[in-house]
Amino acid sequence: MNARLRTRGLVAVVALATMAAVVSAAPVGASSQGRAHEQGSGGTLLIGAEQELATANWISSSAGSSWGVWSLGVQTLPQAFDVTPAGEYLPSPVLADEPTLVEGPPQTVTYRINPEAVWSDGTPITSADFEYLWKQISTGKDIFDATGYKSIESIDTTDPKIAVVTFSEPYAAWKDLFGGFYFLVPSHLLEGKSLDKAMKDGYSFSGGPWKLDGGKAGWKKGKSITLVPNPRYWGTKPSIQKVTFQFITESAAETQAVKTGQVLAAYPQPQEGILDEFDENSDLEYIVSFGNVYEGFWLNADKFPLDSQAVRQALMAATDRQAIVDGIVRPAVREGKVLQSFVMPIFPAYFTPAFEDAGYGPTADLDKVETLMTDDGWAKGSDGIWAKDGKKATLQIQTTAGNEARELTEELWQSQLQTAGFDLTIKNPNSDVLFGVNGPKGKIQVGLYAQVGTPDPGLCILFCSQNIPTRKNGFVGQNWTRTDDSAIDESWGAVDVTLDTTARTEAAKEGQADLAENMVSIPLYQKPNVFVWNKARISGPLQDNPQLGPFYNMNLWTLAG
Amino acid sequence: MLKYVLRRALYSIPVLILASMLIFVLVREFGTDPARARCGVSRDKQCIPRVEQQLGLDRPLPVQYVDYMSEFVQGQWGDSQRTGQSVAESIRRDLWDTSQLAFWAVLLSGGIAVAVGVYSASKPYSPGDYAFTGLAFAGLALPTFWLGLLMIQYFTYELQQWSGSTDVLFRSIPFAEGPQNGVEYFQELALPVFVLSVQLIAGWSRYQRSSMLEELNSDYIRTARAKGLPRRRVIWKHGLRNSLSALVTVMAIDIGALFGGLIITERVFSRPGMGTLLLGALQNGDTNILLPWMLVTGAFIIVFNLLADVMYGVLDPRVRVA
Repeated sequence: MNARLRTRGLVAVVALATMAAVVSAAPVGASSQGRAHEQGSGGTLLIGAEQELATANWISSSAGSSWGVWSLGVQTLPQAFDVTPAGEYLPSPVLADEPTLVEGPPQTVTYRINPEAVWSDGTPITSADFEYLWKQISTGKDIFDATGYKSIESIDTTDPKIAVVTFSEPYAAWKDLFGGFYFLVPSHLLEGKSLDKAMKDGYSFSGGPWKLDGGKAGWKKGKSITLVPNPRYWGTKPSIQKVTFQFITESAAETQAVKTGQVLAAYPQPQEGILDEFDENSDLEYIVSFGNVYEGFWLNADKFPLDSQAVRQALMAATDRQAIVDGIVRPAVREGKVLQSFVMPIFPAYFTPAFEDAGYGPTADLDKVETLMTDDGWAKGSDGIWAKDGKKATLQIQTTAGNEARELTEELWQSQLQTAGFDLTIKNPNSDVLFGVNGPKGKIQVGLYAQVGTPDPGLCILFCSQNIPTRKNGFVGQNWTRTDDSAIDESWGAVDVTLDTTARTEAAKEGQADLAENMVSIPLYQKPNVFVWNKARISGPLQDNPQLGPFYNMNLWTLAG
Repeated sequence: MLKYVLRRALYSIPVLILASMLIFVLVREFGTDPARARCGVSRDKQCIPRVEQQLGLDRPLPVQYVDYMSEFVQGQWGDSQRTGQSVAESIRRDLWDTSQLAFWAVLLSGGIAVAVGVYSASKPYSPGDYAFTGLAFAGLALPTFWLGLLMIQYFTYELQQWSGSTDVLFRSIPFAEGPQNGVEYFQELALPVFVLSVQLIAGWSRYQRSSMLEELNSDYIRTARAKGLPRRRVIWKHGLRNSLSALVTVMAIDIGALFGGLIITERVFSRPGMGTLLLGALQNGDTNILLPWMLVTGAFIIVFNLLADVMYGVLDPRVRVA
């Protein structure tokens, strides 16, 4: 009996002790404000972030993450150029003025650094920092994208506040250098050290309006990133005391978190009904914008019948792109527009609606299909499908398996093409097979997937013949449409090396016309973005920036309450 | 008993090795290419070949496997192919997060399942028994994902609207800086623990009911009642103890699986943990995480299976390992 009592007692004590230990794992704060301080009475802004960055070493191949740029990079480190919401390059606060371009040869770009620009330890930002970044990228082993940096021959750092960059060959996209996914870093702190080791888990230095709270401790892996104002920032200092980006990977949970005030702002993936959810809370305001990611039907010009320009043009004429936009984009964000170029309209300097100019509207034109196919020697068989020399106009489309929006797009297109006399079959592999094998090896006849546009209009990478992946070059290259057209090579090749802005703009517009003429592929729509925030708590110049994210100017926001 | 435990543990080693080979080959051949996952939007056509060389992905598959496993057995679990962060640290951190969720769910579910099972068995085919049976089947049938989203909708937003409060009573996401006290800890874990518990209670209560019914119909129970022992004492002191062995066995196996199996719950409530870690590793083809993950969760399953065998013997002295 006594033994049993003792056993029971022991079990009870162990159970209670275990519970106490687990509960006490949550640190007991001494704050008498309870949770109010987290939501802003002390100036803390909580933002929902859909993805966590993989690494804070911005030049690493793991670092190509938009959310990483938006939540940490842009906030803490300077770039040579900012991209405005209107899609224009603007010298960032780290520069004193617009850099000077000398076409040469050799091409040189002179960056004059703002005399007030300093790192968070008070050390001035100098030309040595430009040189350091260039060397790390051009000679590093694990680099995300060395394009352009390998075209730099030298950087003159004689004057610490003037960096003179000399190129070994003309490089027209120079405004993307020391920017994009990359940021200037303090060479005086990093020289001689492993950049990856020093930065991958976070860093305590800053050259932007914010810095990580407590250095590396500000990035709680799997949970959040917390930023505090950088007191040494020479521009407009933030009034908000603390910003936390909390990683919320499930979009439904993120939507509810915004609605209930658990977070005060978010940039969620649009999906059907999301705006209706936000409308339920009158404190929420949102902006719908169209960014630099776009969808298209990518046509393989090497595969019959797409080796015929007339057939590609007929496919475009057979496609009711507006119906696809109405079926895919509008249910989510209530608006949508057909894309008429492979240069984004949000980058107006170079954009021209080339496909519209070439006579292709947003809806189908079946008469045009008839004319194009008949003139090319095709005739409809008894099954209503075009045929030529005994071969039918049969197509196979591939996209990422399991992506509902894309699968619906395929079904819509299949129905449209059937009406127009084309037979389309659908076969969707997983994304790794699609992008890792089928794309590079030319096994996609028609692909449905997204591309990312940039403010710089260079499309040679996608459509110039030297970028066709072949067995000879180890299947390296992104021209998966196998476009091989001398006019396109010439116009887009010129865009890559023409430094004069006016001439470059002309070349880009001519290049877009060439793409439409050749009908290299079919642009569909820009993917929408939704930026939502609690307007009762947050005020300021809130707007979306497709390149830098909507949080790019948080130092200008104010937080009430 | 010790020899039995050791023997079982030794048998597990070849199983784990075989499983690790299978996972390695499947992920490498059919999963996401880690180089492509890294170079995603890079316009540099040399990015992928560069990363493949850096990660050793250009070597033959058997060579990659042998190199990795030989480091692994020496305790060097390496770094994530995606983030470069220590795999051991990532697993340690996420295992702790998952353990908390699992602990409370098991505690809650075990208590309720036993109580419901005993009640249903002691009053079989009563309205209460039918009600619990219906609830159990509903609980088994409900998809976790759907239930989780439903709970979020009604117990965060709708409850907030109804109460007119500016704060939520139950959280749909963790506190950004972690819970600061016991109340916040409860707020953060209440919904995910509940969602997880529904299916556990549904299954366990059925086992307990079935096992308890069998015991209550035994001769010794009838004898005890005939000798005048109070019904309550007969049920709780004699019947329950002898009926627990089946439930404990099932619980032990289920608990072992929980450490790798909370993918949906963690995903719905955006909680870090072993499930989230697995998803990310699969999406990125990160075998440096997948293999240790599999081995750690496999070890938990083996340990809890062993524990089930031991507990069975403790609860029923007639069953002893020879």
